[in-house]
Amino acid sequence: MSHFSTVKTELRQRQPLLAALRDMGYSPEEGARQVRGYRGQTVEAELAVAMQEGGDLGFRWNATNGAYELVTDLDLWKQPVPIERFLAKLTQRYAFNTVLAASAQEGFEVAEQRDCQDGSIELVVTRWDA
Amino acid sequence: MPQRTLRFRIRPDGRVEERVEGVEGDACLGLTERLESSLGSVERREATSEAFSMRAEQTQPLSVEHH
Repeated sequence: MSHFSTVKTELRQRQPLLAALRDMGYSPEEGARQVRGYRGQTVEAELAVAMQEGGDLGFRWNATNGAYELVTDLDLWKQPVPIERFLAKLTQRYAFNTVLAASAQEGFEVAEQRDCQDGSIELVVTRWDA
Repeated sequence: MPQRTLRFRIRPDGRVEERVEGVEGDACLGLTERLESSLGSVERREATSEAFSMRAEQTQPLSVEHH
């Protein structure tokens, strides 16, 4: 029986997902990867973070939802925060990187960025229109 | 040459709120569409106090027609 769990996410695009993982100090690898779990079991994912300790973290594209899903062995979860906090943080960094990239693509420049007391990130972008 | 300013608040759970300052232009809408394709949804708060006051001024002449 497989030990792997999959968790649905709203993470739809690869680039901001990679950037979010790097922001959190992980080194994600792209391409077909084997995600390692309990007793050497593996499962394939398009994107993975190999962990020294505990199970690996994998992200698998779910075409039905149009989003990546997290696949990992939760019995081996050794991250500094519980999985709910991990996914919330990852989703925030994903959203932040998405806003940054989309703003730049539309010609906006970052005028201000600050971390708020409630944990939000505030970002102000501006653009001069002819 | 108008300056478009967008203010984003990215919540700790990843929800994004977008607030348009001044008059909204096509540039803002293009950016919002890009974001929605990647994020799924963006909460919008279009009417800042500045936008309200400008809109109020613009609608004043219309009330003349009610005479």
